[in-house]
Amino acid sequence: MSVKNAAAFRRPKRLGIDRRRSLEAYIFLIPWLIGVCLFFAYPIFVSVRLAFSDIVEFKGLKTAWVGFENFRYIFFYDINFVPTFLKVVTDTLLNTPLCMVFSLIIAIFINRKMVGRGFFRTAFFIPVLLGTGYIMKQLLGMGVDGMTVTTGILVPKLIADLLGPSITEVVQGFLDRITVVLWKSGVQIVLFLAGLQGISGSLYEAARVDGATEWEMFWKITLPMISPVIMMNVVYTIVAFFTDTTNPLVDYIYKMNFTNQQFEYAAAMSWLYFIFALVLCLASILMMRRHIYDSGAKG
Amino acid sequence: MTAKAVYKPRRFKFRLRRLTFSRFMLYLLLTALVVIAGLPLFAMVCRSLMPLDELYIYPPRLIVHKPTLRNFSDLLTSLSSSTVPFTRYIFNSLFTTVVTVLASVIVCCMGAYGLVKHKPAGSGPIFAVVLAALMFSAHVTQIPNYMVVNKLRLVNTYWALIIPKIAVAYNFFLVKQFCEQLPDSILEAARIDGAKEFRVFWTIAMPLLQPAWTTLAVFSFVNNWNDYFSPLIFISSNALKTLPLALQTLSGGAGVVARAGTVGAATFLTTVPSILVFAIMRGKVMETMSFSGIKS
Repeated sequence: MSVKNAAAFRRPKRLGIDRRRSLEAYIFLIPWLIGVCLFFAYPIFVSVRLAFSDIVEFKGLKTAWVGFENFRYIFFYDINFVPTFLKVVTDTLLNTPLCMVFSLIIAIFINRKMVGRGFFRTAFFIPVLLGTGYIMKQLLGMGVDGMTVTTGILVPKLIADLLGPSITEVVQGFLDRITVVLWKSGVQIVLFLAGLQGISGSLYEAARVDGATEWEMFWKITLPMISPVIMMNVVYTIVAFFTDTTNPLVDYIYKMNFTNQQFEYAAAMSWLYFIFALVLCLASILMMRRHIYDSGAKG
Repeated sequence: MTAKAVYKPRRFKFRLRRLTFSRFMLYLLLTALVVIAGLPLFAMVCRSLMPLDELYIYPPRLIVHKPTLRNFSDLLTSLSSSTVPFTRYIFNSLFTTVVTVLASVIVCCMGAYGLVKHKPAGSGPIFAVVLAALMFSAHVTQIPNYMVVNKLRLVNTYWALIIPKIAVAYNFFLVKQFCEQLPDSILEAARIDGAKEFRVFWTIAMPLLQPAWTTLAVFSFVNNWNDYFSPLIFISSNALKTLPLALQTLSGGAGVVARAGTVGAATFLTTVPSILVFAIMRGKVMETMSFSGIKS
């Protein structure tokens, strides 16, 4: 019936062609759908079942339904979950806007034609190449000796002695955060760059003829035109922060899974965590939806 | 192309009038940001060159004072002494990564194209699934995933590292986003000229989507290359281990302190292919965003 709706909406009299194109679309989609069903949909189903049950027998993963028992345990017995969770949430809420602002500013800067543009583009993108998994762990602190890379390097000892420990800590914390944010915004910068380059030059030309300043052009042209990219980036950033391997909660869930082998408990935690991320993403999409410029390219 | 033509006359004026201060500040700011972003990288290179006594100095040292290549030779000997030569790990990593990237690019582009440009019945729910899948950490579904791979009898084969990573939601999302900017009129024109649907996709949509899928290919390469998590779970045979996993086994267990330099060298070596791939594709990822025909 949704075929009919779509057809009625798009092309009132040619239902046959639309149905054929729908079929073609599924031929294109099939390989992807099979992959998703096997390695996403089914595992999700199993993991939901796990979250509400207790493993009776490891072999063949036989389970017994226990309802919300696992979730009750998370909130009332587990002393690690809630503090870690709150830390991750505050980190995400702080880092996401920072990341957006930083990457948009950087993208606008390196979108100009200037000497060394290629160098700067590469420099800001390189963290993306290295910033996943094992290497990120090594680099940003959870490595061999559990030492943050920036500690004692960005703020030399001499200055630290002069300022006193409390101020040093604030400065250090700030610099650490900037480092982390910069290391996580490579993808966002590239996406913004792509968005910026998609804006037609004639818009700026017209604005310039009308006497607009750079500042006005940013607010009236760049920002509205790039708004779909901003939304995509916000979602991407939230998700990236939430699913990152250096994220302490992911680490905790991972340990619960593989070190303690409490699959059902880890599943319950991941679901709680996922639902929160989902709510956050939906909230930001809803908040931004009214301000999104629709390019109308969909025909 | 049009952007260039528009910007040029302005540039000369700009350069003549206000070359000095604002430009200088811009460069200063960008350089400062690059330094902050580049520090960990610099630290990594230095650590790989540090002799053991320098690695554990307090306060930690950023710049290496007595650089040595000892760590690298240690790495080669400690990895190769087993029955599997070092080059085997490199082959394993390269093979699985390259196959995954190729398959993923084709499958995701086809899917996204079909979904966006044909709007089949049920495209709404499918897209909802994509969005949901984006938000899942791989860790959530890892146990059930293992069960599936096990049932397909893929454990301890290369395919266990390839097949689960082809239909990745993130890749799909990226291409889909670009697909929406593809004007229908170009595709329609090709269809009127008698092109079959697959031909429209392959000769018209794919070249136009090139920025999207080159970017995707780079990301996918980097992610799969650096991933030690799935080989950790799916691979138990020593001969099939990938490079990151082989290196990971170095940095754990007893004697970690003594091997800190080796781990530094290993970290450095793992990053090299990613940087190479990016260096090759950089032009395409960053510059070929000129949407010929798109956004008239």
